[in-house]
Amino acid sequence: MTASALTRPGERDRLIVKFGQIDWALCVLLSLIAGAGGVMLYSIAGSSWTPWAADHLIRFSIFFGLMIVLALIDIRVWFALAYPVYGMGLLMLIAVALVGEVSLGAQRWLHLGFVRIQPSEIMKVGLVLALARFYHGVSAKDARFSWKLLIPAGLIGMPALLVAHQPDLGTAILLSATGAAIVVLAGLDWRVILTGVVGAAVAVPPFIMFVMKDYQRDRILTFLNPENDPSGAGYHTLQAKIALGSGGLLGKGYGLGSQSQLNFLPEKQTDFIFATLAEEFGFVGCVSILILYAAVIFIALRIAATAHSHFGRLCAAGITATFTLYVLINGAMVMGLAPVVGVPMPLLSYGGTVMLTVMVGFGLVQAVRVHRYSEVTSGKGTLV
Amino acid sequence: MSEPSIYFSEVNERQGVFSRRTFLMGGLAGVGVLALAGRLAQLQIVDADRYKLMAADNQFNFRLVPPPRGLIVDRNGVALASNRPNFRVMLTKDQVDDVDATLDTLSLISPLSPDRRKAVMRDIEQSPRFAPVSVMDDLTWEQFSAVNVRLPQLPGVTADMGEVRVYPFGGAFAHVIGYVSKVSDVDLKAPGAMNDPLMHNPGFRIGKQGVEKALDRELRGKAGGKKVEVDARGRVIREDPRGDIKAVPGKEVALSLDADVQNRALEVMGEESGAIVLMDCRSGDLLCMVSTPSFDANRFVKGLSGPEYKALAEYERKPLLDKALSGTYPPGSTFKTMTALSALESGINPEERIVCSGGWFFGGRTFHCWQKRGHGAQSMHDAIKNSCDVYFYQMALRIGPDVIARTARAFGINQIFDIGIPGQKSGTLPDRDWKRKRFPKDPVWHPGESPSFGIGQGALAVNALQLAVMTSRLANGRKALNPRLIKSIGGVATPSGADVPDLPFSKEHLDIVRGGMAAVANDVTGTAYKQSQLGLGDVKMAGKTGTAQVRNYDKATTRKASEWRFKDHNLFVAFAPYDDPRYAMSVIIQHGGLGGATAAAPRAREVMRVALLKDPEVRARIEKPMPMPEAPPAAAGEVEGAAPPPPTDASGQPSPFPSSPPPDPQ
Repeated sequence: MTASALTRPGERDRLIVKFGQIDWALCVLLSLIAGAGGVMLYSIAGSSWTPWAADHLIRFSIFFGLMIVLALIDIRVWFALAYPVYGMGLLMLIAVALVGEVSLGAQRWLHLGFVRIQPSEIMKVGLVLALARFYHGVSAKDARFSWKLLIPAGLIGMPALLVAHQPDLGTAILLSATGAAIVVLAGLDWRVILTGVVGAAVAVPPFIMFVMKDYQRDRILTFLNPENDPSGAGYHTLQAKIALGSGGLLGKGYGLGSQSQLNFLPEKQTDFIFATLAEEFGFVGCVSILILYAAVIFIALRIAATAHSHFGRLCAAGITATFTLYVLINGAMVMGLAPVVGVPMPLLSYGGTVMLTVMVGFGLVQAVRVHRYSEVTSGKGTLV
Repeated sequence: MSEPSIYFSEVNERQGVFSRRTFLMGGLAGVGVLALAGRLAQLQIVDADRYKLMAADNQFNFRLVPPPRGLIVDRNGVALASNRPNFRVMLTKDQVDDVDATLDTLSLISPLSPDRRKAVMRDIEQSPRFAPVSVMDDLTWEQFSAVNVRLPQLPGVTADMGEVRVYPFGGAFAHVIGYVSKVSDVDLKAPGAMNDPLMHNPGFRIGKQGVEKALDRELRGKAGGKKVEVDARGRVIREDPRGDIKAVPGKEVALSLDADVQNRALEVMGEESGAIVLMDCRSGDLLCMVSTPSFDANRFVKGLSGPEYKALAEYERKPLLDKALSGTYPPGSTFKTMTALSALESGINPEERIVCSGGWFFGGRTFHCWQKRGHGAQSMHDAIKNSCDVYFYQMALRIGPDVIARTARAFGINQIFDIGIPGQKSGTLPDRDWKRKRFPKDPVWHPGESPSFGIGQGALAVNALQLAVMTSRLANGRKALNPRLIKSIGGVATPSGADVPDLPFSKEHLDIVRGGMAAVANDVTGTAYKQSQLGLGDVKMAGKTGTAQVRNYDKATTRKASEWRFKDHNLFVAFAPYDDPRYAMSVIIQHGGLGGATAAAPRAREVMRVALLKDPEVRARIEKPMPMPEAPPAAAGEVEGAAPPPPTDASGQPSPFPSSPPPDPQ
C-alpha cells in the first residue's frame, strides 16, 4: 500500500486498511512471551497441560483476538469512552470497598451475579484513558504547573487510595506510578517533579511504620533483612533466589528445576514464574525473555511517539508505563531487589485478570498505532 | 484561537516535551531492564555455585537407615538374640491435621487400648514436630496392608517394616544377655548420643542390661543413609540408590554359653531361686550361667507396662536380680575346700586325726557339728567327705583367717572377673585386715571368729561365679583360670581364660582336697553320694556340699522356719570327670531349705550330665562298653552337709564374736 493511496479520504477507515496498520511485530513479541509462559506452566505442572498451560494459551488466544478487535476501534471512540470507563471503574472500586468479596484476606472482587470482576484491573486502563483525555485538552503551560494539576492528582489519588484500602499495595503503587508517569510525560515542571520525589522519600518511612498493615510491613522489613526469618516471610525471597542462582548460565534443563518441581518455590505459577524460567533455562533464557520485554516496550513507546493526537500519545505511553512497571517490579521482586508485592510478570504468569488487562491495554496501543494520523477533536470528545 | 501561531507553538511544545520525556522514559526502562540483567548475572553466574548447593540441600535428604543389630549366638552358633521383621505404623505430628481423628481411623484397623493410646499421645506430645513417632507395632500382614491402602487419606502417617529384637529362649539368657529397650533420657546424656540421629529413630532400641548393654557399640553397627529427593513438605519424591550410604550391620557376638546346658539348668531350677554356673575348667569358658527365677526379655523390648514391672520388681524371689553375679551368699561347707588347702599349705599333716563328738567347746561356748552324733576321729580326707564341722573349726583356729583368705583369694573368691558384662558383686572375704577396716571400734580379729570362717559362714559372702571359678581352679590342677563369657566379637576371638600362670599350691595338697571331694560324691558314706551319680559309666563327678544358714536359729523363729525367706541356702560345687576334670560348676539354691546334697547336688548332676554328654571326648569314653555299677539303696537320715547347729555359749552371755550366731538360750 502506497502512501498516496492512504491519503485518499476515507481510505484509512476501511477495515482491511486498518488491519494492515496493526503492528504485527508487537503481536509476534507478545505471542512469544505468552508462549514462553505456556511452556513454563507446562513444565511446572510436571509436563502436563493441566491445570495451567492449556488454560493460559487458550486465554491468550482469546485475548489476542480481543486485542485485534480493540485495535480496530477508532481512537475517537476510545476518547469518548475515557471518562465513562474511568467513572465506572471508580464506582466499582467504591462498591468493592462497601460490599466486596473477601478473598485471601483482601477485599478485591466484585460479584455481579454471573461474573467476578476485579475493578482495580479496569482502573489500570481507565486511569490511563482518563489522564490522557484530561491532558489532551490542557495547554503545555498548564501541564507544566497550574491549579489544573489538582484534577489529575484527584484522578490518580482516588483509585489509588481505594485500592490501597482493599488492601492491594502492589496495584496501588502501580496505579500511582503509572499516573505519575503520564503526568511527567505530559510536561510537569521539573521542579515539581523534584519536589515530589523528595516529598515521597520523606513520607515513605512514616507511611511504612504507621499506615501499612502488619503483613505488608513484614514483607518490607523482611526484604530489607531476608536472612532474619528464612522459614517465615523471608522464605519466598530466599527460595526464589535459590531457584535463580542455581539455574546458572544455561539452566538445569526443561522440566528439571528442582526448586519449582518440588514446590520449594512459592507461587511458582504466578508471581514467581520468572524464577522457574530462570532455574530451568538459566541466564541465557532469562536475558532472552528480558530482551523480548524490552523490545515490546521499545515498540510501544515508538507507537506513542509517532501518534499525532496528544490523547493517543499519552494513552500508548501510559499503557507502556504500566507494562514496564509490571516487568521491573516483578523482576526486582523475584531477584530479591524489592519486597514481595503481588505483581505478576505480564503474559508470562498464569492468571486471567492481569492478562486481560494487559491485552486490553495493548489493544489500545494498537488502536493508537492504527489511528495514528487521526485528529481527535479537542475537549468535547464527540463520537464519530 | 485569535493567535493561531501561539496555538501551534503550544501544540508543538506539548509534542516536543512529550517526545523528549518519552525518550527519557524509554531510557529509564532500558536502565531498569539492564539492572535486572545485571542482577541476574550476579545471581546466576557469580553466585551460582552457592545457590546450586542450596538447591541441592533443599532437594536431597538422607533418610536414616538403621543398621540391623548384631546377633548374639551361643558357642555352637545357636541364636540367643536375633531380629525379626516388625510391621509398624508411625506418625509425624508436623504433617498430621488432626492427631485424634488419625488415631481413631488407625484404631479401626488395629485396636488401640486406652492405655496404649495415652502412651502414644504422650510420645507425640514430647517428641519434636518433625520426628516420626511409633504408633503401632507388630501388626499382622493384613493389618499392615490395610493401613497401607488408607495411607493417602492419612497425611503424616507412614507404615514401614523395621526390625525388632527377639530372644528365642525367652528367659533362659535374660540375665546374661540382658535386653534392649527404648532410648531413655539417661542414654541421651552419654557423650555424642544427643547428636546421633540413630538415637532419635523411633524404632531404635539400645542395650540396657548384660551383653546387650556392655557390647552395645559393637552390636549396634553404623546407620546408613538413603539418598532421597524430597519436596517442600518433606515427602519423598524419588530415591537415588547411587547416593545411598550402606548401613553397617552390628557385629555378631558369640558367647561361650551352650544353649542346651543353659536350658537344662533353667529347667532343673524350676521355681527355685538361685544360680547355676558351669565352666570348662581347661579353657575357662562359661557354658552355663543361669539365675532363676528369670523373666522374658522380649517383654522389655516392647516396653513393660507399669503393673508388669511392679510384679517383677516386688516378687520376693527377685527375678530381676542376676543371682549368678550380683547375688552374694555365704558359701557354707563348700568353702571347707579352701580351709583344707590352707591347712595343708600351713604344714598340717592331712593324716592327723581330730575327734568329732558332735560339738567342740571353745572360748566359753560350744561349736556344734551338723552331725550331732559326731563323726569320730577324722583325717582331712574324712573331714571333707563327711563335711565335719569340728575338724574345720579347729583347723581354722589353728591356721588363722589370713591364710584362709589368701588361699580363697587365689582361687577367685572376692574377685571380680573380666567377663565382659557388668554387675558382678565381689562379696566379702573376711580377714584381719578386713576386720580392722570394717569395724574401727573392734578392729581385732578374735580367735572365736575363725571357726565360723573355717566352715564358710560368718561374714563370708560369695557369688556363684566365684564358686565355679574356685572349683575350676581346684579341679584343673592349680591353673589360675579366668572365666570367659564372650567367645568372639564379629568373628574375632577374645583371649582365652586358660592363658594364665599356675597357682603357687603344691599338686599333692590339691590332690588331697580333690580326693576328699571325690569321696563326697563317690564314697558311699560321702555327703552327696547318691545324688552325685551321673550314670555315665566310669565318668564320675566330684563335689562338695554346702548349707548356709540364713536365720538365727535361736530367736524363737521356729514357727517361721517353714517360711521361704527363713530357709537355709543350699549349695553344691562339683567337677567332672574327677579323674580328668573338664567341667566345674556351682549351684546355689536360695532358701532351698534342704541340705546342699538334696536340693543342689541333683540339679548339679543333671546339668553336668548335659555338659558331659555334649563333650565328644567324654562321650567317646562313656560309649565304650562298661559295666554299670548298681547304686546302693538310699539311706534316709539326717541332712548331710547341712550347716551345723549354732554354737552354744555356756555362760549364757551374748557372744563376743560379731560374726558368730548368738548363744543358745538353753
